[in-house]
Amino acid sequence: MSHLAALGTYLPTWGEEQDRRPGPDEDAVTLAVAAGRAALGCLDEPDVDQVVLVSRDLPLLEGGNAAALLAGLGLPADLPVTEQVGGCPATLDVLTAAAPGTLVLAADLAPAGAAAALVGSDGLEVLPCARRVGSLPVQSRGRDGVARDYEDARLGWDRGGLAAVSALDLAEKPVVVAGATARQAGVLTRGPAPALPVTGASAALFALAALDDLGETGVAVAVEQASATAVRTGRGTTSLCLARDEPAAQSPATLRETPGPEIAISLAAYARAFDAKLRWEAGACDACGTLALPPRLRCLECGSEEGWSLAPLPRTGSVYTAVTVHVPVPGLPTPYSLAIVELDGVDVRALVKVTGAPAGGTAIGDRGRLVLRRVALRSGIPDYGYALLPTDTDPTTEDI
Amino acid sequence: MRRVAMVGAGMTKFKEHFDLGIKELVPMAVSEMAASVDKGLDRSDIEAAWFGELTTSDGFPAGILADSCGLLDIPVTRVENACATGNDAVRNAMYAVASGIVDVALVVGADKVRESSSRSTFWEWAALTRDVAWDYPLGLVAPANFALHAARYLHESGATREHMAMVAVKNHRHALTNPKAQLRFEITVEQVLRAPTVVEPFGLYDCTPQSDGAAAVLLVSEEVADRYTDRPVWVRGVGLGLDRVMHQHKQDMTSFPPTVKAARAAYAMAGIGPADIDVAEVHDCFSAVELISYEDLGFCDRFGAAALVESGATTFEGSRPVNLSGGLKAKGHPPGATGVSQNVELFEQLRGDAHNQLDTPTYALAHNIGGPTAVSAVTILSTEKD
Repeated sequence: MSHLAALGTYLPTWGEEQDRRPGPDEDAVTLAVAAGRAALGCLDEPDVDQVVLVSRDLPLLEGGNAAALLAGLGLPADLPVTEQVGGCPATLDVLTAAAPGTLVLAADLAPAGAAAALVGSDGLEVLPCARRVGSLPVQSRGRDGVARDYEDARLGWDRGGLAAVSALDLAEKPVVVAGATARQAGVLTRGPAPALPVTGASAALFALAALDDLGETGVAVAVEQASATAVRTGRGTTSLCLARDEPAAQSPATLRETPGPEIAISLAAYARAFDAKLRWEAGACDACGTLALPPRLRCLECGSEEGWSLAPLPRTGSVYTAVTVHVPVPGLPTPYSLAIVELDGVDVRALVKVTGAPAGGTAIGDRGRLVLRRVALRSGIPDYGYALLPTDTDPTTEDI
Repeated sequence: MRRVAMVGAGMTKFKEHFDLGIKELVPMAVSEMAASVDKGLDRSDIEAAWFGELTTSDGFPAGILADSCGLLDIPVTRVENACATGNDAVRNAMYAVASGIVDVALVVGADKVRESSSRSTFWEWAALTRDVAWDYPLGLVAPANFALHAARYLHESGATREHMAMVAVKNHRHALTNPKAQLRFEITVEQVLRAPTVVEPFGLYDCTPQSDGAAAVLLVSEEVADRYTDRPVWVRGVGLGLDRVMHQHKQDMTSFPPTVKAARAAYAMAGIGPADIDVAEVHDCFSAVELISYEDLGFCDRFGAAALVESGATTFEGSRPVNLSGGLKAKGHPPGATGVSQNVELFEQLRGDAHNQLDTPTYALAHNIGGPTAVSAVTILSTEKD
């Protein structure tokens, strides 16, 4: 049994309300980081000892996603990270077995969404109920990355999901079913089935969030092809902190893809920039404290070359100048907007891309927050950094 | 310090020279320069050469100049200083002659922007000027590099896209008579405003074309100048200025501090001020850059550029014409050649041989700003030796 102290969700803004798509600068890592930051931002002093990411859309199979996850989440680089390939039953399995201090992340690309649950010593109780592991691979994807569809939806549900749930032999009807369509779920649930915006790994956590929204406890089932896991929730002595970062849906912008050579990368430069760039930290001069982004040997202000230490940067700011690139650029979807942002409360500006808003809508003086995004894919390697997400929040609003 | 005279100048046409390589363009420009020397040039007089080339489209630059021009027995130094390369090559040669070490120095600038495929040009050139970890992956294309300044400049100065368009219209009109210019057609303000957007606030006609070309000038000491001509042009001032390379470290993006520094140095060396300049070739890779540069060069007060261009003062008929060649905007912009070609234009103006000839100008100024808007070079030429 586990207790959930906090639950965070994230949906990219693009697509339909219940069918989101990742932006061109989003992948499973940035989605998971957004959800994770929502969950961690819920608590005053979140206690995280380890991280598990469940997804079938891991950006890198070799090369690793763990360091980017920890950096984006602002967690120390000495935590164990488990990258688990799996769907929503796997997420529930991980959750019920997790020790307090485990941050369980789940992220999906189609439909896109992510959720995070922090397992604590109190909060929403989640008890394992039943599990069925079966095989009916109507959708498959192997080492070649090519997705194949058997194209028999009725077989898939009748002999897959429905059969798996029957095999669970549940004593009571579930309140919510993850991994099924609303219509399929409605046949199984005791009341109207809550609609979930995702069907993959993160659907399990969206289901628990839906239960919490209903103010109910009960059985939640996660289904994936011919496998299913059921859990029962119960109230702890403290309530679950639920934070949703789910902006309204907007139609995906029409972007132009221009083929071209791969964008080159220097892994030496990548490695030098990594901590400052992914943790959003400046170099603070050891002699005078002046902040420099990126960190640099010689202080911008006093000229000291004695050394510097990384210092967190504010994650809100306003636009000093902005432009929109319309001309086709090989390897980058156009149009896109670039902005120089003056960060709140420090003498630091940053040149960043604008995210989560149609290109061209950002003007001098606009406010926004800085969020982790995949700035570019360079020779197959995700190059993460921060982008400006325009907001109308005032500068005192705390960042999540 | 010895006085330095410019006694010869020549250039190829600026265009898409798909049919000519750098190994043809460079000797063509040098031969045209040699032909312009009034009393003739014996190539064996040339003691050293400086070659401004931003990228190398066909191998080892200094060797290509020596080899393709038959100058195998002199030292050749390649100069690369982003879009300020051409005028910086002039500055280096000027120092050598002024110092007394060299009597006859050759300056050549060349580039072939159209030698790469359209798809590969952007990332190849971006690697020359961007922080590889932080800025390179953002897709800060060259127009965006300057548009970040232009957007802020329009916001603070009250200048409008119409004022930017006036620059483009003026420079296109100036290029009509220039046989070396790439874009020899007139445009209207309406056409500029209606053109497809490249990077807001720049439309297609706010931008320089991509060009290939080469240009060359000959600098000699005052002691030997009369061997070559009775009407030399004097290199009176040179200057180079730099700034922080990342845009986020530039405090005031409505101005280019490198230009202010380069101009200050050049004016001081020449012993004159901006009011003395009769004609100028100003870096107008994008229309708004010419406006900002009016202010940085001291041609008008801060945020006075809109009124200046509106007044017509910088047209051929105006009190201080700017970019009578057509500028980068219409003459073209093969970066290494650009600054040298400005000197070719002004050499002809000061000697009375130009296509848009003014009535006896005395002082002329050439200006480049480039790279990540972090380097500028200024050269001041004059008919007056002192």
